Amino acid sequence: MRLFTRVTHTILVLVLTMTWPHAFAAQKPAVNADAQVLQDFKARVDKYVELRNKADNNNSAPPIKKTDDPMELRSAQQALAERIGAARTPAKQGEIFTPEIAARFRKLLRPEVNEPGTKATIKDDNPGAIPFKVNGPYPSKEPLSTVPPNVLASLPPLPKDIEYRFVNKHLILRDARANLIIDYIPNVLS
Amino acid sequence: MHSRSHTRFVIALALLVAAIGALAAQDVSLPNQPDSLKFAIIGDSGTGSSSQYKVAEKLIAARAKFPYEFVLMMGDNLYSGSGPKDYKKKFEEPYKVLLDSGLKFYAALGNHDNTDERNYKPFNMGGQRYYTFKPRNGVRIFALDSNYMDQPQLQWLEKELTASGSDWKICFFHHPLYSSGMHGSDIPLRDQLEPLFLKHGVDVVFSGHEHFYERIKPQKGIYYFTSGGAAKLREGDVNKTDLTAKSFDTGYHFMLIELAKDALHFQAISDQGKTVDSGTLARVSDQDKKKRASTGS
Repeated sequence: MRLFTRVTHTILVLVLTMTWPHAFAAQKPAVNADAQVLQDFKARVDKYVELRNKADNNNSAPPIKKTDDPMELRSAQQALAERIGAARTPAKQGEIFTPEIAARFRKLLRPEVNEPGTKATIKDDNPGAIPFKVNGPYPSKEPLSTVPPNVLASLPPLPKDIEYRFVNKHLILRDARANLIIDYIPNVLS
Repeated sequence: MHSRSHTRFVIALALLVAAIGALAAQDVSLPNQPDSLKFAIIGDSGTGSSSQYKVAEKLIAARAKFPYEFVLMMGDNLYSGSGPKDYKKKFEEPYKVLLDSGLKFYAALGNHDNTDERNYKPFNMGGQRYYTFKPRNGVRIFALDSNYMDQPQLQWLEKELTASGSDWKICFFHHPLYSSGMHGSDIPLRDQLEPLFLKHGVDVVFSGHEHFYERIKPQKGIYYFTSGGAAKLREGDVNKTDLTAKSFDTGYHFMLIELAKDALHFQAISDQGKTVDSGTLARVSDQDKKKRASTGS
């Protein structure tokens, strides 16, 4: 009987020793790694928008406004792009689309861009293999690819005038107000 | 004396231009009622080519007989660049007579347009990619950006459609939801927009993108037109299907529209001044719209 009590006691101690740390671990809040990556993406985009707002409110150049003078439109857009470009120098690919964020985006895009109708729409208006660079202008003579609504719905939402576009097989992040390429993920399309 | 003969010459020239204009406009045959709402449609117009100028001449001439109040632009308003020279050559010069007369143009963005065109005042976009306006009581027009149909735009559209009550609801944007052309029907876009159009009783939809004219058989009670040949032409591109009610792909064209009570009169006119399609569409009753909204067909 005494032996039985000792064995029981030992088993109990063993079980408690094995499960106790897990019991503590379970109390820690679970971390969703994917959500954290997207949170990081949002923070990086917000930081860019803050920078743009500062460049936009700079009194040294004319603001972008409604006008019937195309020259004014062109000058204001170029001036804004130059101010942003100068403030970001040196900007390089991966500053917003870090490897973790890019990997997450590829995962989000995969089911959508492989759908035949979506694939056709992206291909239809895609400018193809054109030269472009981060912090450079989107080539003004080239068409803008259509981004199908289901693709947009699968990606994180963006602030006003920041948009996703496709250039050849790459996903770019474009500032529509400054016509500037902010960053890109290479080869997201097969 | 020299000045007088110069004046005579100018008057004679003006008369000649007016006569040519009247001749070219002779094919305009809408009911042309005094109190109706009249407007014109051009699509994929911004090439700056002689074809654009030729269609523009016909458009100008048509106004002498059919005094349309504004022009809707289906996108690709400026191909291959949007510098000051592009605005001049591809918009301001071909439509100068209309612009000088105070006529308004309302643009939608195409895949060849720079987003910044929204800030160009003569396009009347109010600085927005998508917008709505009410040309008169009982009619509401929605310009959409089909290149980038994101959630904020869809939410905006739903809100505005809801608020538009029982008006005629007319949507225009670049990419056609139904098409028999090279690009074909934009299915992903249709999946998003069609349920909203049905739910809120949209009557008519105009698009461009395909470089020809096509009137689609009514789809779930909604009328669809593709008009993307005001400067570009893809000859023989209509691969007639069950969708096609009427098509024209052997010349450039523009459209005239007249809304009179519950009727929509339309006429598509070629760059030769010939009518390539015309007719009258009856507006679907509110009761039938409710029925189709509940059944989704």
